[in-house]
Amino acid sequence: MLKVNDIGKTYGKFIALENIDLEVADGEFLAIMGPSGSGKSTLINILGLLDQNYTGEYLLKEKSYKDASDNYLSKIRGDQLGFVFQNFKLLTTYSVYENIEVPLIYSKQKQANKRELVESVIKKVGLEGKEKNLPSELSGGQQQRVAIARAIVNRPNLIIADEPTGALDSKTSKEIMNIFTDLNESGTTVIMVTHDSEVAEYAMRTVFIRDGRLYNDEKSVKK
Amino acid sequence: MLDKVMIALKSIGKNKNRNFLTMLGIIIGITSVICILAIGDGFTKVETKGLQDHNTKNRVTLSFTPSSDDDTTSGFTRNDLSVLEGITGVDHVKLTSVNPEASVTVQHQAKKSSAGLNKVPKKLKLSEGFGTTLNTNDTSDIFISKDLADKVFKGKALNKRLVINDNVFVVSGIYKIGDFSYRPDIYVSKTTFKQLFASQISQDEAKIYVKSSASKKRVSKSALNEMKKFGEDAKLGKYGVSHVDQITKSFTKTLNNITYFVAFVAGISLLIAGIGVMNVMYITVSERRKEIGIRRAFGATSGDIRNQFLIESIILCVIGGLIGIALGYSLVSIINHFLPFKAVVTAYAIVMSLSVSTAVGLIFGFIPSNKAAKSSLVGLLKEE
Ligand SMILES: Nc1ncnc2c1ncn2[C@@H]1O[C@H](COP(=O)(O)OP(=O)(O)OP(=O)(O)O)[C@@H](O)[C@H]1O
Ligand SMILES: [Mg+2]
Repeated sequence: MLKVNDIGKTYGKFIALENIDLEVADGEFLAIMGPSGSGKSTLINILGLLDQNYTGEYLLKEKSYKDASDNYLSKIRGDQLGFVFQNFKLLTTYSVYENIEVPLIYSKQKQANKRELVESVIKKVGLEGKEKNLPSELSGGQQQRVAIARAIVNRPNLIIADEPTGALDSKTSKEIMNIFTDLNESGTTVIMVTHDSEVAEYAMRTVFIRDGRLYNDEKSVKK
Repeated sequence: MLDKVMIALKSIGKNKNRNFLTMLGIIIGITSVICILAIGDGFTKVETKGLQDHNTKNRVTLSFTPSSDDDTTSGFTRNDLSVLEGITGVDHVKLTSVNPEASVTVQHQAKKSSAGLNKVPKKLKLSEGFGTTLNTNDTSDIFISKDLADKVFKGKALNKRLVINDNVFVVSGIYKIGDFSYRPDIYVSKTTFKQLFASQISQDEAKIYVKSSASKKRVSKSALNEMKKFGEDAKLGKYGVSHVDQITKSFTKTLNNITYFVAFVAGISLLIAGIGVMNVMYITVSERRKEIGIRRAFGATSGDIRNQFLIESIILCVIGGLIGIALGYSLVSIINHFLPFKAVVTAYAIVMSLSVSTAVGLIFGFIPSNKAAKSSLVGLLKEE
């Protein structure tokens, strides 16, 4: 799915990422763990084509987007990627249905097809009957379901989730992780950042990050 | 497109009060544009209609301007008339006068004064005396203005005798001249005017009717030359040509100047309104950084974001414009009760107002929308 060769990123003199090498296979479920401020979000922003300001090589499906135009990057994000953010990042003045519809506005789907797609993901995340509610009228777990539905409505190949359970209790976290597992089992590649080792256990593989460097086992992080 | 408009309407609806206040500038601007255009259009309609009645295509008007202001008798003579009619291409010529008033000397006892005199109109409102006009057999009766009555009779003029150019008349009515209207000092009956005074009016206009085969330009040129050479009063003043096209042209020019002035005033008010729109769009953009980030992450290009805010800014202005048009329309129907002519809201004025509102939204929304489109994505996604 993707391959990272010696990626680095600096904010002025501060080194946020250094010598990152990583390969993720199609259909894999990868967890990224590490202490706060270690560079997890910075890394997945690069992987999600949200941040183009890095050194080194990043290939998504064997293609480099380093020199791609801003418009082309938007199209790739819309067609191939799906994001789930820690604080849900829903449009607070839009209904559940309208929130989930957002990625479809910018893709070339037909109107009838759009409705079908939105309804099918609403069913998938178990939000039937909440279509007209505002995010403020939902529980945290339900809000994250909306965010997941929005991330998958365009049928992306890769889902990138930055602490999807960060704001949820452990019971709700389990429900959300079950959705991710289902998605992964139906073929979607998932990369997920988390603090929680219980949550990381849902993943096939876990990598660790500390001070901007990537390690393959937990010991090297804790030393 | 419709869904984009719906999105824009929705976010405008979220901040009704703020957006209404912003629209106020546009509303006032467009309302005044509508009113002024309506008055202008109504005025033009009346005026050009008058011009058309008054002119025919095959006519050239030669005018005489005396060098001295006191000279009221020189102009075109009988001989001039035959000279003009002798020019090739001329069909016939009519002599008239720009101001058909006779200048006369009036006398009461030893007091002498000069005054302007004309034939009585069909209906006149008198402040003293009876009746509204002078009939053909009222040959010795006259109406005089209050001003003349005060000057010559010290007020008590009714039924007194007044000598005009050695003829004796009786004052049978007095009228007041309003501040905004013009009237001569004395009115006599039509018959009296014809018999005694018509000859004293200088004929300072010659209306030359040109044969359809001849060129108006050539005829007016040679007419002017002939008059300069042979005109009997050539030494007392100047001849000039004013033909129909020129009158219309200079009239249109005046109207255009009025239009430019109006456009200037409307422009200033819309400029201020536009700055308001720009301000509110800046506020909207910075309030909605999170939304922009989300849309960008899910496939919106920077162009999509720019268009979203541009559409919003345009719709904001167009709503203001529509309210302005409605308000202007009702204001025009109120104004019409007080105008001597009918102001009309034309389709052109409506289209014009809508285009102007759109342009204001486009121009003043552009910089804030561009700011929204160009923000760094990672920064946007850190917004809560
Ligand atoms: N725009 C920026 N300018 C300067 N430094 C930054 C900027 N963004 C992030 N950093 C720094 O980069 C480092 C990594 O940040 P990042 O957001 O990737 O951490 P994280 O691992 O996601 O932490 P958390 O678990 O708390 O979300 C931090 O030390 C942070 O201070
Ligand atoms: Mg983070």
